[in-house]
Amino acid sequence: MHTLEISDLKVHFPGRHGAPVRAVDGVSLHVAAGETMGLVGESGCGKTTVANTTVGLLGPSAGSVKVMGTELAGADRRTLRAVRARAQMVFQDPVTSLNPRMTIGDAVGEPLYVRGIASGRALRERVAGLLDEVGLRPEHAGRYPHQFSGGQRQRIVIARALALRPALLVCDEPVSALDVSVRAQILNLLVDLQARHGMSSLFVSHDLAVVRHVCDRVAVMYLGRIAEVAGRDALFASPRHPYTRALLASVPEPDPVVQRAKPRVPLAGEIPSPADPPAGCRFHTRCPMVAEVCRREVPALRAVGESVVACHLA
Amino acid sequence: MAEAALTVENLSLDLGPARLVDGVGFSVAPGEVMALVGESGCGKSVTAQAIMRLLPDVIRQSGGRIRLGADDLTALPERAMQTIRGRRLSMIFQEPQAALDPLSTIGAQIAETLRAPLSRVRGEVRRMLEDVGISDPERRIDQHPFELSGGMCQRVMIASALIARPAVLIADEPTTALDVTIQAQILDLLRRLATERRTAVVLITHDMGVVADIADRLAVMYAGRIAETGPTEGIFAAPRHPYTALLLASIPRLSDAPKSLLAVIEGRVPTPAEFGPGCRFASRCPRADAMCRSVTPVLGEVAPGHAIACHHPLGVGEAV
Repeated sequence: MHTLEISDLKVHFPGRHGAPVRAVDGVSLHVAAGETMGLVGESGCGKTTVANTTVGLLGPSAGSVKVMGTELAGADRRTLRAVRARAQMVFQDPVTSLNPRMTIGDAVGEPLYVRGIASGRALRERVAGLLDEVGLRPEHAGRYPHQFSGGQRQRIVIARALALRPALLVCDEPVSALDVSVRAQILNLLVDLQARHGMSSLFVSHDLAVVRHVCDRVAVMYLGRIAEVAGRDALFASPRHPYTRALLASVPEPDPVVQRAKPRVPLAGEIPSPADPPAGCRFHTRCPMVAEVCRREVPALRAVGESVVACHLA
Repeated sequence: MAEAALTVENLSLDLGPARLVDGVGFSVAPGEVMALVGESGCGKSVTAQAIMRLLPDVIRQSGGRIRLGADDLTALPERAMQTIRGRRLSMIFQEPQAALDPLSTIGAQIAETLRAPLSRVRGEVRRMLEDVGISDPERRIDQHPFELSGGMCQRVMIASALIARPAVLIADEPTTALDVTIQAQILDLLRRLATERRTAVVLITHDMGVVADIADRLAVMYAGRIAETGPTEGIFAAPRHPYTALLLASIPRLSDAPKSLLAVIEGRVPTPAEFGPGCRFASRCPRADAMCRSVTPVLGEVAPGHAIACHHPLGVGEAV
């Protein structure tokens, strides 16, 4: 059994002008035990919607989402509550993720307290252990969020997410709001926690270098669909989907010699609206390889080399 | 080297008793892209605002001079500055949608830089839109910002900033709000326009990838001072200031071993209230000693055009 199993997931939102916004439109992927799965793509591709659905913050419009075998689609409150103990989330902005009027000890201990797992002295000890685990001092428990820097606050959020020893940790852009020098601290911590706890993780990010650094497999999304899924090394060494290739070529490498020697293949055009996605392959309006079939037929995911790709021409 | 288009000399900016920017100086030649890099609070954006003379009321320029070509802007009255902004000195911002007037067509906004009604300069505006890569400019010229994507709005901003052929363009995080494929388009555009039009560009960014892509030279700022400045290739190949070296080593790259330990800069950037004597990086620097905590290091050249402010610089190729 996979920790997370998503099949043909659709999440549609009511649109302002009639047509629904098809934020996620037929996504299937799984995260195996102990595996970190990266989910990358540009704004509006649906990656955050997928993440929110896996922890039950959004309900699927169609399809299935199973965490440790439990179906979330159509689940009642009791089931959702049980699933949320197994799947925890870390959001982008640690400032808005913490209640400013709660001490960080109370924030980190709350999941244990509300579920009746620990209280009193046992709770304080568990909180001290969690703070220590993320590199904070146990005596900080009595302080408030504003007394910490952005990087420290993200550590607090991670400690809270770990409190229930979840099987799945969902991280949505966990380092995007942090300064460059602090990012490395949090990435090192996440890699260390994966190794120590062996938990599964769904890691959502727009930053390909970060995803490559922490993930075992990577799924690339474009306009609500999966374009390509592959193991990390295969995806970065031999990307099969033209969108994956364009995305990789667009990442500016922090090395002027490498960066300036790169072939320039700037992707023309803009990302279409998910309320009115192009027919056929959704990428065809920007694809440098586009053929007649791409405008007509939706490409199905199929195995090519070590990748699974949705492209007629791959 | 050609005469500098912009020279900033010994600039100091104060917020109450705190010195936000302390003795910052650099120059930019025509056609050159000079990057000011640093983390939040390093003073890069207030430096840009000081050059434009658009500082918030609470921040005061307490020292230094800013020269545009041969002209000293420091002493210029506001009325004279108004004739300089847009014509000789322009700026673009991080959020293009927020910087454009939602009620006015993009053509009218670009024409405003020329202080002319659109009807009189329509051809010129259309050519500028074409030059910044907007397709179907004849239709776009009469559209409003909400009808354009973020990437296109940034192209419009660039068109409006460059149509009067200013000598200097200040670009404050121009691609931070954009997606990576759009960012690549805008960076290519800025680089091409700087070269073709001989515009001196001051590029403000926190992203070392963006610097590596288009900057000729850079200045690394930390807590209101320049830590290291020099040619891009030289600094990336052999950073001499420990802060620059650690910053570069802390970024995950597509060429690194996955899940390897990234270099870490312990602690956090001090707030202006915490600035003490000596080097402002001393509290986080693995090489710091008593001298670093008491004596402020001055910028000194280590190679032609490459200067650092550090008592214990790294050797070429040495790790921190």
